[in-house]
Amino acid sequence: MDDKTIREELRVWILERSGAPADRLSRDDQPILDEGLLSSLDVVEFILFIESLREEEVDIENIEPEVFTNIDSLVEAFFPDVKSAPAP
Amino acid sequence: MATALELAPRLSDASTRKIWDVYSEFDWVDTIDPEEGWSMLPELVSIYGTDAWDALSETEQKRLSFYEIVNFFSFVLYGERPLVSGLMNRMYRKNTMGDITDYLHHFIDEENKHMIMFGEFCNRYAGKIYPEKKILMPREYAKGEEDVSFFCKVLIVEELGDYYNLKMMSDKTIHPLVARINKVHHVDEARHLSFGREFLREVAAQHIPEWTDEERGTFQNWLTQYLASCWGDFYNPAVYKDAGIENGYKVRQMAMQHPTCRAFRDEASAKVVDYFMDVGLLSERPAL
Repeated sequence: MDDKTIREELRVWILERSGAPADRLSRDDQPILDEGLLSSLDVVEFILFIESLREEEVDIENIEPEVFTNIDSLVEAFFPDVKSAPAP
Repeated sequence: MATALELAPRLSDASTRKIWDVYSEFDWVDTIDPEEGWSMLPELVSIYGTDAWDALSETEQKRLSFYEIVNFFSFVLYGERPLVSGLMNRMYRKNTMGDITDYLHHFIDEENKHMIMFGEFCNRYAGKIYPEKKILMPREYAKGEEDVSFFCKVLIVEELGDYYNLKMMSDKTIHPLVARINKVHHVDEARHLSFGREFLREVAAQHIPEWTDEERGTFQNWLTQYLASCWGDFYNPAVYKDAGIENGYKVRQMAMQHPTCRAFRDEASAKVVDYFMDVGLLSERPAL
């Protein structure tokens, strides 16, 4: 899965979960928790979704709440080795 | 109805009379073969009643029941860990000084032993404790809300745990060690629940009337989400993977939405939900 696809998967999940309109998360640096798009309890479900994308468990003990700031920080923390999609 | 202060010395007496040693209470067999017998009652397995369950052979179902009991014990263990630290922080306060603190010493001692017991089972037979996925996020509380929400969390983990304990503790079809652990846990939890229900009732009666409508709504929304989130822990993709079931996340999503599983969660949660409504912590039954 490439960088662009992962970002889109994360965006769709968050918007579906929150019921928020797409413009609340049109950019990858828009805040997620501060804007109330996800609650701390949603994060539990979100981590399981992220694990399903990574096909690998997340080590919770090494995760700080700041990781959930925005899509950029999520990708950096959970998908550090992902490659950008090749240019068409 | 007795107050928490009146209950506390009676519960302390009972704890003293029934004191047990976690290191000598159990006959820890060397190994448990996950496929040899039932480790958890089939009807308590998270996907019971779904096509995914029916598609498994009996051997595969037994294997899943093993990892599900490890997950259940992990859930209770991780629920009891913050409970112990939270109870410690509430000892020797003005509203707990005396008999209540004396009982909290027993409460903490018993919860500590439960964690040892669950941890031993999980590590010895599965080589792991399933980690919880909760991350503590800073949040603001209304006056008294932190105490109310703490005792709500206590009650949820204990009431849900006790539902499973009661179903398994006398059952002859599951592994006898599992039944024994459920029995030992239930005996202590009966006292913890008795105290917790009364203490929370009093703490709630003290604080809820002071909350604004908005604060009450925010709290009820949190409580509903928290209960649903706890149920989410029972549908663990890592369990399905260990049991050899593919696409664990999709299995979880399926089971969370399945009407049979929903009906099970409603039934298993009925007691604690009834209590929350009776005390005024919820105004309507949550969709689980």
